Amino acid sequence: MNTVAGSATASTIGLRVRRRFRAWINRRIPPSRVTTLNQRRIFIFPSKAGLFYALCMLVMLLAAINFQNNLSYGLTFLLFTLFIVAILHTYANLSGLTIRAVHARPAFPGQRSEFELQLERSRRGEHVGLRLQWPGGSPVSASLVDSDSLRLQMHLQVGQQRGWYSPGRLLIESSYPLGLLRCWSWIDLDLHALVYPRPLASAELPGLAAETPDGAAVLIEGSDDFFGFRDYRQGDSLRQIYWKGLARGQNVQVKQYVAYADRSVWLDWEMFTGLGTEQRLSHLCYWVLQFDAQGDEYGMRLPGVTIAPDCGERHRESVLRALALHGTGEPSP
Amino acid sequence: MKVEQQIPRNALVWIIISLFTLVLPHIERVPHWVLSVYVLSAIWRVMVYRGRWSFPRWPIKLGLIFAAFAGILFSYRSLIGLEPTVALLLAAFAFKLLELKERKDAYVLLFLGYFVILTEFLFSQDLLIVLLCVVNVVLVTTALVALHRPGVDSFSTRPLTKASLMVLQAMPLMLVLFFLFPRIGPLWTVPIKSQQATTGMSEFMTPGDVSQLSRSSEVAFRVEFDGAIPPRSTLYWRGLVMSRLRENTWSALDYYEVPARERRPQEPQFTGVPLRYSVIMAPTQQRWLYSLRYARSTDAGILNAADYRLFRPVIIEDDLLYRVTSWPAAQLEERLSDWRRRTELALPPQANPRVRQLAQSIAADAHDSQEIVDAVLTLFREQPFVYTLQPPLLPQQDPMDAFLFDTRRGFCEHYASVFVIMMRAAGVPARVVAGYQGGEVNPVNRTVIVHQFDAHAWAEVWIQGQGWVRVDPTAAVSPERIELGLEEALAGEGSFLADSPLSPLRYRRIDIINKLRLRYDALTYRWQSWVVGFNADTQLQLLQRWFGEFSARTFAVVILGSWALVLIPVGLVLLLRRKVHKLSKLDRLYLRFCDKLEKRGVTREAGESPSAFASRAQHQLPLMARSIADVTQRYQRLAYAGTDDSDRELDELARAVRKLN
Repeated sequence: MNTVAGSATASTIGLRVRRRFRAWINRRIPPSRVTTLNQRRIFIFPSKAGLFYALCMLVMLLAAINFQNNLSYGLTFLLFTLFIVAILHTYANLSGLTIRAVHARPAFPGQRSEFELQLERSRRGEHVGLRLQWPGGSPVSASLVDSDSLRLQMHLQVGQQRGWYSPGRLLIESSYPLGLLRCWSWIDLDLHALVYPRPLASAELPGLAAETPDGAAVLIEGSDDFFGFRDYRQGDSLRQIYWKGLARGQNVQVKQYVAYADRSVWLDWEMFTGLGTEQRLSHLCYWVLQFDAQGDEYGMRLPGVTIAPDCGERHRESVLRALALHGTGEPSP
Repeated sequence: MKVEQQIPRNALVWIIISLFTLVLPHIERVPHWVLSVYVLSAIWRVMVYRGRWSFPRWPIKLGLIFAAFAGILFSYRSLIGLEPTVALLLAAFAFKLLELKERKDAYVLLFLGYFVILTEFLFSQDLLIVLLCVVNVVLVTTALVALHRPGVDSFSTRPLTKASLMVLQAMPLMLVLFFLFPRIGPLWTVPIKSQQATTGMSEFMTPGDVSQLSRSSEVAFRVEFDGAIPPRSTLYWRGLVMSRLRENTWSALDYYEVPARERRPQEPQFTGVPLRYSVIMAPTQQRWLYSLRYARSTDAGILNAADYRLFRPVIIEDDLLYRVTSWPAAQLEERLSDWRRRTELALPPQANPRVRQLAQSIAADAHDSQEIVDAVLTLFREQPFVYTLQPPLLPQQDPMDAFLFDTRRGFCEHYASVFVIMMRAAGVPARVVAGYQGGEVNPVNRTVIVHQFDAHAWAEVWIQGQGWVRVDPTAAVSPERIELGLEEALAGEGSFLADSPLSPLRYRRIDIINKLRLRYDALTYRWQSWVVGFNADTQLQLLQRWFGEFSARTFAVVILGSWALVLIPVGLVLLLRRKVHKLSKLDRLYLRFCDKLEKRGVTREAGESPSAFASRAQHQLPLMARSIADVTQRYQRLAYAGTDDSDRELDELARAVRKLN
């Protein structure tokens, strides 16, 4: 009994210590999209190699004492002071480095999301042999020597819960130049990946609500029936540019195509009455992916959110985002 | 293996470079096969890197280790002692290259490299060797730096720059520690250099044994006098006193062979002006020290023998600095004890009958000891005796008879030996003294350099009322040897330094070489007296001279103060230069433009390009669209296109940003 109670108190103490530590580090290194490492944020301690080095120095000091050899004393002291100087150099290698959160790709539960960071160096210093790692992720090494900035894509498995996934604090460490000391920081980049609901297949869509009458022409890019010309707008596909006209010296125009949408679907929260929130969202998610794969138009009605029917990648993302953030209190698009 | 644990190609190159420079100072000491181990290991490792060969498997490794042990045993006949241990360490160091797979192997190898540097100091503390070792420290550190620059696949000297800088910054702190760190005695006994050949003077003297005396130009010791340097003809550096002749060989009495009551030297009368000087002698692997008579030293661990010479109970394995005060005019051993008289008169009963007969006939005509001495010296002077370094061999049976009556060619040992035999046969207590005579005065720093070729043997006779008196029979034969030195004495023979064709001493007629040689010698002396000879006593003197009474508090203040003096500037240089983040004027203008737009509610996202930002801002602020486009265009042209007239364009951009309201 005692042992059980003991381990219980030990674990609560451990928990409390961890919570304390988290609170302390949050005060010390507050979350920020842009973090520049400085003396408040960098920790430094001898590495394993450094401890081994200290042992070697001890042996050398003993040799110097026992052989009464002044140059051996000198060498031992040189190595010791080299260690001291290495503290400054190791620290300087990390100091001044700026880490900027760029973006995090949305992902489905349990899948890997891409977190993109940008490392920027201070004006004259170089940052060599950096090692970055999210908790639970695999380490990525980087160096900023000749370039001023560097984009890093790091892949990390997101959680099972839909909504915003926070990967925790990023560990950034380095032992350059001598490897005798390890210098590190845990920074919170305030970077979150959106986790969509887990798609859950349902046999068919109950109460399919088709509102647009059949046969109405709807402009859909990527269709095959020619409709007319319009002026080029940024973002238009190169394939649709009317090259012949351009060759004749006309303005840049694009060819427009139409598809005759056979159906335009509304995905409605109310379609799955009687199911739980998560399950409804999962089914809706499944159907969004289905329609998107077929290239169909679809709209979405959730309590408080209505997204007009459309298709394409951007549309899919905004719909999935609405599903992911449903009921979390976060603003939807 | 994780990427960061891999060894970059550049690091491998630097590791192999440092491996070879580390063995360089040891090269003359280790057996030659150890060097082939280095070459083999390096080739093997490079082939592994190129993917041709693989790392050795354990049976091969085991075989290599056994082979190394066997090789050491074969070369040194022993595994115990400093030299076999160091050779074994060097072989293991090379083999470690064959195990170099990831970063932690490299740590073991490179830290072992630092230790290899240390072992060199146990053998030599020569200035040039030490400079080479500093280079080695830099190279090992370079390899360590290269190890932490991942992904560098071509040879790069950047790690060398970094390592040199770091060692340079560490140097001043090292000096502070060197002078302040308390020196304590050895904690336990350590292996001695059993394999080191004894150099310099031998413990025994057998005249006629060798037909050719080889004398090197190596430095035996250097002396610095506090006052003026006495004339060189008076510089008789006594080393050993040889009182015993047995089977034609002279040797010194061992400490335990002297009766207990005779072991302490008789206190002489301190007459005349004392000479004060310090000596730095090269390691001899022997116990005796060199000094002028009558010498006394207050240094710890230096003892006075009954025959008025200095010795140390422990073998001299490293350069040794000691201070001596000598009273050249002091009268030694006024009263001769019975035991001493017996010892200094003893002769083997049968040997050299003709020499003894001649001596006894001289003694019969003389009134006192001084007359006997003079008569024998006159004999040397008047008969055709020749001073030469290439005398004929003498027979085993009665060699001195052959020398005195037949060959009459020899060097100091012959003359000293025959002289002492004659004195003893004539009833005058006498003995052979071995040491060095003269020396070269270095005009650069006024030290006396005594070379091995200055080795000499002379005699001491005991005369009633005068004590022990120095008599140099060689001076009677060849006065030049004493007045001018060995080189002049052998001018006709050409045998001076015949064995050392490369010695700079041979070329001292060439002015520039001689000047360089003397400068380097002065530097070596300074180096030895400051660094090599630094011990607890000199440390205390130095600290008291600098800081007065030295306490623990001053110690702490000096250490912390001097470290702060070095580390704070280094830290400032490393860290502060990052704070001076100066943006170009162009970027400042663009940021001001972004600030202005931000006040209107359009914030530039991180990583958003100027054109993307401009189109977004134009969309949200249609009234300002034209000026936004203008500023962005100007900025992009200046930043990326590189115009000829950038100053004018910068001004225009500044105006455009200012107008933005």
